[in-house]
Amino acid sequence: MNKIVLGNGEIIKKSLDDKVEITVLAKQNFLNVKILKIKVLKTTDLVIEHTADSEVKLDIYINLEPDTKCNLTEIKKEGNYKLGYKIYQAENTELNITKINDVYSIKELLIFNLNGENAKVNYLLKSISKMAEKYDLMVYHNFSNTWSNIVNHGVNIKDGILKFSVSGFVPHSKVNCVVNQNNRIINLTNNSCEIHPNLFIDENDVVANHSAHIGKCKDEELFYLKSRGISEQAAERLLIKGFLMQKLTDHTEIERIIKKYWR
Amino acid sequence: MNTLKIENLTAKVNNKTILNNFNLELKSGEIHAIMGPNGTGKSTLTKVIMGDPNYEIVKGNIYFNDTKINDLKVDERARLGVFLGMQMPMEIEGVSNADFLRTALRAKDEDFKLFSFVKKLDQEVANLKMDPEMIHRGINEGFSGGERKKNEILQMHILKPKIVMLDEIDSGLDVDSLKIVGESVMKYFQEEKPAILLITHYQRLLDYIKPDFIHVMTDGKIIKSGDASLVKIIEEKGYDKIKETGTSVIKENEKDE
Repeated sequence: MNKIVLGNGEIIKKSLDDKVEITVLAKQNFLNVKILKIKVLKTTDLVIEHTADSEVKLDIYINLEPDTKCNLTEIKKEGNYKLGYKIYQAENTELNITKINDVYSIKELLIFNLNGENAKVNYLLKSISKMAEKYDLMVYHNFSNTWSNIVNHGVNIKDGILKFSVSGFVPHSKVNCVVNQNNRIINLTNNSCEIHPNLFIDENDVVANHSAHIGKCKDEELFYLKSRGISEQAAERLLIKGFLMQKLTDHTEIERIIKKYWR
Repeated sequence: MNTLKIENLTAKVNNKTILNNFNLELKSGEIHAIMGPNGTGKSTLTKVIMGDPNYEIVKGNIYFNDTKINDLKVDERARLGVFLGMQMPMEIEGVSNADFLRTALRAKDEDFKLFSFVKKLDQEVANLKMDPEMIHRGINEGFSGGERKKNEILQMHILKPKIVMLDEIDSGLDVDSLKIVGESVMKYFQEEKPAILLITHYQRLLDYIKPDFIHVMTDGKIIKSGDASLVKIIEEKGYDKIKETGTSVIKENEKDE
């Protein structure tokens, strides 16, 4: 498995084989943003871990060469982040991104370009928002037969203000695309959270779904758990744990986070 | 001996009165079945007993033994030993059945032993002919209607309640599953001697679970009570006829005497 560890946006450790190519570009003076370029040459798994004790400004470019698949796991701890992602997928590619964010604050802009037929992206975010977190995702289906599934799950606690904005674009004549998005925030504060689910579709031959939900734990779920003798507090903890763990295949990191906030 | 006593209970939801001066007493070792047309308040009764906050008690009392439970929270009632097998059990993705049951059992039993729990769980899963893998999936996640009902019965076996309410536990079950569930409930009844309250529309469930008392409920109250022979009368005459012929609460066996 390929792995990069970043400290304050600098590579401090890496373990890479010939399936993936990493380039770090010098900081642009004007914007003070570092650029990390990742090229996936052959099907592979890649883990990126971030830690920070100061503000990190980083652009990450990810390129998938034709006929490749990449399972990318990204874990962020602590720090304040401003990140821009530009993702380019050629034909017959599959990108499965799993992100777990437990940071002080974060602003992310992600632009997905599905630039070849049968390009698929499956994106899953789990975040514990404690201050300000804003995620803007744009998915461009630039070819026919492309597929996107965007899932944003956040739990908002303490002073958190969490915002998701997700836009899917299908231009005219790009047929047989699938555009899914599912956004949910469990807001355990009185702060205001936002979800903006957008679908910009100029083609009839498309399957598109979106869902957005902000609220506390669902009353009917709480009732079910409490009807088995579980206290309100324990039931809420169980539901949050379930929400954060659902759809994840590796629970190691999320279990650490759950223990940290919900002992 | 445990008793659940419902006295002159009137309850409403969304400003609509559903239960109207309802009375019933259940004792350990008794099986009661409530039958009645749709929309007469049968499910509401079970929800009110369980303490669903969507339902408001306007008047009347519910007692578990000598304790008035009107103001107890849902989880407090459950820990006393009241159990509701739901008509449409929730699907909760991410919360595994095993984790859920372990948490529930820990809440109830301070002397919780993990090994005994796992052993009992495996045994009951096998008895109910459930897929052992289901126990590690989210609660009712991807379960068919029948599997959900079996999961309710599994929870009953693990939590060992003293008052068991089963709301249309037969719906969604094929003939084989109905037999498994019916026999499993009777096995629990014979071993633990709880009080059981069944809500059902169909005779078929009563082929396996043999009630001591049948109650006909319309308009939020019991209009007729009797023994198992009342089911045949219901099937022959229908609820409307029973409603017409009398609203007094007469136990059929008492009538014979």
